[in-house]
Amino acid sequence: MKNIIWTEWLKVRTYRTFWVMLLLAVIIPLAANFFMANLFSNGDLKKATQLMGQPFSFPAIWLSVASISSYTSGLFAILLIILTTNEYTFRTNRQNIIDGWDRREFVYAKLFWLVALSVLALALSTIIGIIVGVSYGDTSVSFEDYRYVVYYFLQVMVTLSLALLIAVLLKRAGIAIVIFFAYTMMIDNILSALLTRQFGKVGGLLPLQAGDELLPVPLFGKMIAKEVFEPYVYIIAMVAYISLAMYIVFRRMMKSDL
Amino acid sequence: MSILSLQGISKRYGAVQALSGVSFDVPPGSVFGILGPNGSGKTTLLGIVTDVLKADSGTFQLFGKAGTATQRRSIGTLLETPNFYHYLSGWKNLEISASIKRRGADDIERVLKVCGLYARKDAAFKTYSLGMKQRLALAAVLLGDPDVLILDEPTNGLDPSGIAEVRGIIHNLAQSGKTIILASHLLDEVEKVCTHVAILQRGQLLLSGAVTEVIQRNDFVELSASDNSALAALMLRYPGCNSAVISGSSVIATFDSYPDTAAINGWCANNGIWLSQLQLRKKSLEKAFLELTHTSNS
Repeated sequence: MKNIIWTEWLKVRTYRTFWVMLLLAVIIPLAANFFMANLFSNGDLKKATQLMGQPFSFPAIWLSVASISSYTSGLFAILLIILTTNEYTFRTNRQNIIDGWDRREFVYAKLFWLVALSVLALALSTIIGIIVGVSYGDTSVSFEDYRYVVYYFLQVMVTLSLALLIAVLLKRAGIAIVIFFAYTMMIDNILSALLTRQFGKVGGLLPLQAGDELLPVPLFGKMIAKEVFEPYVYIIAMVAYISLAMYIVFRRMMKSDL
Repeated sequence: MSILSLQGISKRYGAVQALSGVSFDVPPGSVFGILGPNGSGKTTLLGIVTDVLKADSGTFQLFGKAGTATQRRSIGTLLETPNFYHYLSGWKNLEISASIKRRGADDIERVLKVCGLYARKDAAFKTYSLGMKQRLALAAVLLGDPDVLILDEPTNGLDPSGIAEVRGIIHNLAQSGKTIILASHLLDEVEKVCTHVAILQRGQLLLSGAVTEVIQRNDFVELSASDNSALAALMLRYPGCNSAVISGSSVIATFDSYPDTAAINGWCANNGIWLSQLQLRKKSLEKAFLELTHTSNS
């Protein structure tokens, strides 16, 4: 594993696109959280937020940060898609195998990014939560309700698993990014809405919707009474989606011609 | 123990049977040429050996063991095209190859110098010319001084001096006892260096073995005199001569066994024909190859 991580580091060390994308993926959720906190802490909106239970004070801050950050997961996904499809574009997926990686190790290399980016998202939202909570909240630091950040972490894992799956199946950055956003921004929502209308709460079990159900938008979510499963059902669903995506990625990589 | 041993390798791409039941062995220390026209399955075969392609059936062993990543690390391979990260320099690309091969970066300087790329080591791969990309691929092959090399069309994209350099490199490697598996459609490339050969045509193995054994390359004699038609007639009466035809300004005579030029000279002189030219020639591999593939076509 050390060899894999070192090799992946050599690949990105001086890759400008990687660093620019990474910077964006860090700055945008940071800016979005500060923007929202700032927006709802001034003037008339401040009064409204007090009715909603102080969303930028501990412990409610964790749900707010998780919910706001979840809209920016696509940035990490683009990064993973670029890192994966680059290998196909440059045909270095072949070269890595020829040089002496097992095909399995090639998949591990991409899984390393999946995990590393997810952990980065987790760490980032934790830090943002603490900073925003201290700056805009009225209470002292507390990790009560931190579980929302863990739900967000799981949702990022699902999002990145989907991104990796699409990248491995389509092999081209452009088309993979288009399909990824078509799914995450439209198809998942539409299917979920249709399923919900037909079959009720089962519609909330679609890959991205499952995470969304656990992260209701704090400012409005609580006003809408909605029939939902217990949290563990969504957690199991997300773990199942991650496992399924991994299974398909491994199967594809182990059996196909490169 | 064979370096590489193939048993009944078959591979199909849709309607095209790229390889059908190919089996042969590469002995250690040999320079093993895999010959065949474009599309005969050479690259497919080497792709299977390096695990970038999956065979439909058949097995192979590297160093007597089922081929795995561990064995690949001790083989330098150039397959088809140079595959490198476009945005990285030649040096940094080789750092990645070295890392995957579990070797230190200490050999990079040497291989870049051998391949004449040291001056451009810090330029991005995408700025390289076709020939330079090929040189970098060769540098990657030489990294860590492996005992076995797999080279698929190694002189692709190189200029004449580059081709001569690569031949020189291959020659030196062969001299130092390394095993080289060389796929090419350029026959003179193979002719100059190979000790063993396998000939493929449309996925079928036509033959394989030591060059001297498997390719009938009857030596022939090229000779001329003032009266070539009289010379041709005389040569046909020479014991062991099976043909004598006039070709341009000389007569080409072929023999059942290795021709003795001194005896031929004496025979002609005794029969009153004084030779102005007498030269022992070898049938080129190209000609032998064309005959071979032509026979199997018809």
